Amino acid sequence: MMIKSMLAKTNFEVCAEAETAVQAIDLYAKFRPDVVTMDMNLPDTDGIECSRRIHAMDSRCKIMMVSAMKDAKLIMHGRLAGISAFLQKPINTNELIDTLMVLCQNNIEANIIYRESYVPTYAKILQDSLMEIAGISSDIEITANQEGSIIVEGIAVVIGVVGEPRGRVIFHMGKDTMKAFANAVLGRDRSYDADEDEAQATVEETSNIIAGHAISKINDIIKDREMRLTPPGLIFGSRIKFSSPELTTFCIKAKTEIGDIYMNAGFARSV
Amino acid sequence: MDVKLVNPFINAFTAVLPQMGFPTPERTGMSVKEKTINSLGITVLVGFTKEIRGNVCYNMSEDTAKFIASTMMMGMPVETFDEMAQSAISEMSNMLTATAATNLTALGKEVDISTPSLSVGEDFQIKIAPGQFLVVTMDIGGHVVEINIAVE
Repeated sequence: MMIKSMLAKTNFEVCAEAETAVQAIDLYAKFRPDVVTMDMNLPDTDGIECSRRIHAMDSRCKIMMVSAMKDAKLIMHGRLAGISAFLQKPINTNELIDTLMVLCQNNIEANIIYRESYVPTYAKILQDSLMEIAGISSDIEITANQEGSIIVEGIAVVIGVVGEPRGRVIFHMGKDTMKAFANAVLGRDRSYDADEDEAQATVEETSNIIAGHAISKINDIIKDREMRLTPPGLIFGSRIKFSSPELTTFCIKAKTEIGDIYMNAGFARSV
Repeated sequence: MDVKLVNPFINAFTAVLPQMGFPTPERTGMSVKEKTINSLGITVLVGFTKEIRGNVCYNMSEDTAKFIASTMMMGMPVETFDEMAQSAISEMSNMLTATAATNLTALGKEVDISTPSLSVGEDFQIKIAPGQFLVVTMDIGGHVVEINIAVE
């Protein structure tokens, strides 16, 4: 109630109010608010458990806990449950607005960093490596992946990234491109009918090398953050949909004479 | 690969799910496999690295995924495997693997985990290791989740 009257004087709008955790989850799904203000005491469960459920449904959610207590234990449990900010009652309007503004800006700033420094580095390494390893020249096109999902027809190599920021890269291409690419890497005639297992292994190995170079380059530039790779996983078939609801993703397309080769880079928002 | 390294993943599964309101999972099978995993419809791949390196792949049918998503959202009906349900499955995989990582640390094998990669499709296969890997099947109230684990 108090929060609602405080917000009435600002540009923030209250789109829904919930009395219970079950209602909160249901309303969150319907309204997808920019920020949720959460009480610790709810009739059906507590604010941390309710946040955990909302975070499970949308890991991009921004939850602000407003409670009478604010101790280290609450903050630790709250962070693990996906709560982004903690305010202690009584709160004043300025404090509330400042916190809301910070929560709403986070995403935009991180996006700019990825777009301006990480993604172009990945793109440059992809282009250079295709030339160096396979002798293939390419034109690069970068797009922000708004809907967050990609459809793969052919082969995808998934390589996880740990450190700061966490994420993953997915290299993918069609089956014919995969075979032609393997032939190019192995120095064979382009029309050679490459064995599928061997072609997959070649793409996997090359992707691992390219991702390794890209990560090292970024580690060199940004000294206080170290990213490392997990072993590659290979996925192949037709119409495979990758969805990354919890990531900010960018699609780097290398247009080559043997077909398009994609490197999709995804970064976790936090934690 | 060392079978001992599988327990942290199984224990994570049996510890985390009941906390989220699921029936206690039961292990119904364990075997060693080679080469490829056939997707059951929904698969989530999570990589790990540091003192040991590898991948874990959670494999399940769309029905099971919808049941899991619905339970995680406190019983909210999940009719289609939409973005919300996908997010819930990603988050569950993240929680399970993070708990497994904590369990591995207790064994003296510290690991960091990547974000989960969720893939959906009717006809695809996954390779998580050049050689052998372990498959554990878990039953949650009649729904089956296959955990595939490969360690380098």
